Amino acid sequence: MDSEEPVVDVPVVAEEVPAAEPIAEEPPPAEVVVEEVVDPHAGQRLVVVKHHALVRLSHWLNVPILFGMIVSGLSIYWASPVFLHKPDPVTHSRDYLADLGIAIARHVPGATADPFWFYNHFGLGVFNLAGGLRWHWLFVYLFIANGILYLLGLILGRGYRALLPRRSMLGESLAMVRYYAGVVPMKIARRPWPHPTITTKYNALQRGAYASMPIAGALAIASGWAMHKPVQLWWLERMFGSYDGARIVHFIVMIYFVLFLIPHLILVLVDGWDTMRSMIVGWSTRLGGAE
Amino acid sequence: MSDELPQVWIDETKLRKRSRRDFLLFGAGTLAAMAGLWWIAPVSSKKRVLGEHTTDFLDTVAARTGLSNDRSERFLNRALTFDDDIAEALYSPNRTVRTYSKRDITPLRNNYEGRTPSPAYLETWTLTLAGLASGSDVILRQPDLARFAQHEQVTRLCCVEGWSAIAGWSGIRFSDLLRAYPPANGAKWAAMESSVNLDGRGNPDPYYVSIDLPTAHHPQALLATHLNGHPLGTDHGAPLRLVVPMKLGLKNIKAITKIGYVAEEPRDFWGERGYSKYDGL
Repeated sequence: MDSEEPVVDVPVVAEEVPAAEPIAEEPPPAEVVVEEVVDPHAGQRLVVVKHHALVRLSHWLNVPILFGMIVSGLSIYWASPVFLHKPDPVTHSRDYLADLGIAIARHVPGATADPFWFYNHFGLGVFNLAGGLRWHWLFVYLFIANGILYLLGLILGRGYRALLPRRSMLGESLAMVRYYAGVVPMKIARRPWPHPTITTKYNALQRGAYASMPIAGALAIASGWAMHKPVQLWWLERMFGSYDGARIVHFIVMIYFVLFLIPHLILVLVDGWDTMRSMIVGWSTRLGGAE
Repeated sequence: MSDELPQVWIDETKLRKRSRRDFLLFGAGTLAAMAGLWWIAPVSSKKRVLGEHTTDFLDTVAARTGLSNDRSERFLNRALTFDDDIAEALYSPNRTVRTYSKRDITPLRNNYEGRTPSPAYLETWTLTLAGLASGSDVILRQPDLARFAQHEQVTRLCCVEGWSAIAGWSGIRFSDLLRAYPPANGAKWAAMESSVNLDGRGNPDPYYVSIDLPTAHHPQALLATHLNGHPLGTDHGAPLRLVVPMKLGLKNIKAITKIGYVAEEPRDFWGERGYSKYDGL
């Protein structure tokens, strides 16, 4: 949530300050005036400019927008599920999502095995196709507009540089996978398990995950329009193979968004307050670069 | 390092001020987003999440500030018409809808709104044409339709529910009917009705949809009498149904009994039930 004045437009001071200098980490309080030596940065703080205002704005706008897209999408999906199996002899269900609802409802106290349970609790309601469609069209135009804001912010804040693929990505990814796999066992074994050295904004895994988001967003929009206007935008439908092909891509992208949330939230919690705050205010006090 | 992050010195007070502003904006935005989502949520969902009592209370508070359920409905309907306007802009009357070969034909579901009517109506079935240039209505019977040139097309029917099916249709072109019985000057819409439509309990429940005349003139807008080489059954709209593959399935009205040409956009069965009236694919 930011407005006209992003933090980025503060002129970069040419002075080189070694990142390791402790003074940079915790500058002395303003009252402590070292006599005779005039500190050119008295009362100032050295921060890292992390996210452009538009990137922060669009990041948070994605929360209600994706929420609206997904709950209304589930109500639309309910009307004609595409992931089907042979009818279950007991429940007569053919729909995997209805099965999920039945399975969850079995473990919820007081609930009966209801094939609509999932749609009822995670969607805009069953039998609400019209309402689901209205929400979906409202939020899709917001989603598209928000995507444009995000891309603008990436360009203006030069954040795209941290997302572009690099030659060293594969090796670094493996190092990160190895690191994450070892964190818990090494903690139990009380052995040191240093974090791989990262000198960029994101480590290779984060880079891949974050870079995949705008691509997933574009895929969601393209597959959505392929099934929304398959006659006028016939070429778009062809790109996805068929009408059902576009539907399947659309749902897989949705599942990818939901799955992305899990490590995204865990990593922010693990990474700490500075990372969370930087997505609101734009700056970070971690001068060493990435975590 | 090409993506090294820029570091800057900022006055502590300035930094604090900006950060406070950003946090306040963040908080205000969160509240606004929650209020907005709640405002446009269906009443049934709100009651499920918040309970009957809280929902009623919040609705009353919202209505006092002008955010009534009525206005929320109108707001959502504007999203629908906005999407229709985009669809209209994408539409080209010269674009032919993709046709398939007979090998591609898939089973077609009977998606009658309500119950499938019993075949008794077929004996007395007539098609009334109203709003003609001649000034008087015309009543057509099945043999009258056989005089027109017959056309065949294998096209796909896409339902608003998300399923689609490929079917072979044959019948007469809507444009041929328009040429034989031209509409009155100033007519812009073809209002179509099926008086044999039944509701879920089997009571008469007329079905009515409309298409704009340019769509009716499209060479692939068919008034079909046959499905996959056989005369239409009552499940698929015997003896005459509309096939407009550039529109959603719900516009493909079955068992048409009346076509009226009018100047103003007519009411629409599904438009009155919260759906779009345009339904262009």
